[in-house]
Amino acid sequence: MTAQLGAELRAELRKTFSTRLWWALGIPVLVLSILYNLFGALFAGLDDGPASTLVPLLSLAYTMVLTSVFAAVAGIVGAAGEFRHHTAATTYLITPARGRVLLAKLALGGLVGALYAVAAAAVGVPAGMIGTGRLADPGLMLGLVGVGMLIGALWAGIGAALGIAIGNQVGALVSVLIYLLLVDRVLALLLSSAESEAVAALAGYLPGKAADVVVYGFLADGLAMPGLGRRLVEEIATVRYPPQWWVALLVLAAWTVVAAGLGWLVGARRDVT
Amino acid sequence: MTEPTGRLAAHGLSKRFGPIAAVEGLSFDVEPGQVTGFLGPNGSGKTTTLRMLLGLVRPSAGTAEIDGVPYAALRRPASVVGAVLEARGFHPARSARRHLLACTAAIPVPDAAAEEALQTVGLAGVADHPVGRFSLGMRQRLAIAVALLGDPRALVLDEPGNGLDPEGIAWLRTFLREFAQRGRSVLVSSHLLAEMEQTADRLVVINQGRRVYQGGLAELRSSAGPRVLVRCAAPARLAEALARSGITEIDSLPDGRLGVAGADPVRVGDTALAAGVAVYGMELERVDLEQLFFRLTAEQHRDGTPAPAVDPAPAVDPMRQWAPR
Repeated sequence: MTAQLGAELRAELRKTFSTRLWWALGIPVLVLSILYNLFGALFAGLDDGPASTLVPLLSLAYTMVLTSVFAAVAGIVGAAGEFRHHTAATTYLITPARGRVLLAKLALGGLVGALYAVAAAAVGVPAGMIGTGRLADPGLMLGLVGVGMLIGALWAGIGAALGIAIGNQVGALVSVLIYLLLVDRVLALLLSSAESEAVAALAGYLPGKAADVVVYGFLADGLAMPGLGRRLVEEIATVRYPPQWWVALLVLAAWTVVAAGLGWLVGARRDVT
Repeated sequence: MTEPTGRLAAHGLSKRFGPIAAVEGLSFDVEPGQVTGFLGPNGSGKTTTLRMLLGLVRPSAGTAEIDGVPYAALRRPASVVGAVLEARGFHPARSARRHLLACTAAIPVPDAAAEEALQTVGLAGVADHPVGRFSLGMRQRLAIAVALLGDPRALVLDEPGNGLDPEGIAWLRTFLREFAQRGRSVLVSSHLLAEMEQTADRLVVINQGRRVYQGGLAELRSSAGPRVLVRCAAPARLAEALARSGITEIDSLPDGRLGVAGADPVRVGDTALAAGVAVYGMELERVDLEQLFFRLTAEQHRDGTPAPAVDPAPAVDPMRQWAPR
């Protein structure tokens, strides 16, 4: 079993890195990361107060959230591309156990998602140092990259699973992006405006918002600024009563399992014609 | 674990797409050591059948077995069956070599198998070109290369002649014949009988999702029986007289002669004499396979009655069941 999944992983690795997609999608990640961290740092450099520490950290946190969207896109395009280019037949002929193909794609998506987070940080942090002239809280920055890798990997996995479940590449892309950039936010807004605290707290459990809570929650916990922590998450992630960042991480992992289940159910039954 | 034989079998396979029955109650088998031609007009359900055999499409009813088990239960499917399904199954930006290497990793077999397959199909020189630049014929060759990677016992090919130039078709024919001569099985579909005549030993002919013939090519040829070609003074009167005596398979040939099937010259001559029609000449003609294939598949069953399933059996004269329209 392990040896066989190894074969599928190697195959997915070769498929992923034999087309331009992975680095073509990586370019906007790098560009946006440089711009965001540079301009964030230039603002922060204007004063010597707490902002000079906080803003570069916030810029990096935002970069990690943004990167996870590109990770999701990479996961979708990679997985649904098998149907678009009709290579799924060959893949399933060699590996009729479609669940194993799904797992290998989840893993590869995760690898690419984590890679994007590392790459974004690798250019974003130096760009920020150009602005402020120093490295703000290296430990916390490293931690942010860590959680960024995790949410990037999970969202790429969700993308891969939904790419298999939906099959149509454009359809999968459009629906996931509309959900992530619009529906998730509107839902969070509606939930947050509820009277009941329990209902309002649900916003932090949505798949998109959960990723925000992970990153900003982690940052808030790491800042030695009492009272700022929860307000930071509430203000920036616009989530009331957010869960702990590690709870949100587990929630996102659970959403990934749900997406994988969907991909398995639909993908295993699909006629490949 | 016994050595895989490469024996393929379909038992009562059916597939419905909504209200449309693409394949209905189809049974056949494919034996090692032979090339089995899977013949039928376009849209007769060949592709759907092959994909059910290979576990890509779920049958609505019936089973398909390879070495006695469903495709999904094969431990190393690529070493049992190699499939050539469509020439479009490639990422246009991926090179031929990279495509093959993704497959060798998944099977898994050593990467050297990819180089070997490239040599076999004659694509070694363009292995690093993106497949998007390949002609249809080159893609067919690459699809065959993929099918060969696992050194399979059986090959399943869906219309591999499409897009191949005459040279490519000749190459494919030789290749398939040699493959079968090594005791392996080949199932190759086509809508052209001519393509099969020089390649196949056995035929499975389907029409509208149902089998209309299964058996040897030689048996099909001999089962056809000769036609009597008659030149006479009054073809219409002779045809009428023949019809009255129960001989209905009569064609008017362009040169004015009658083509009479299911009767010998003696009976035709006696009937002509009785009808008072002067006969100027008679000739025995073997019906060619193309014509037979046309008869087998020309039947339109819009009313839903089953097509006659014709198998060579000594007691039955199959020609009686192949009444023309």
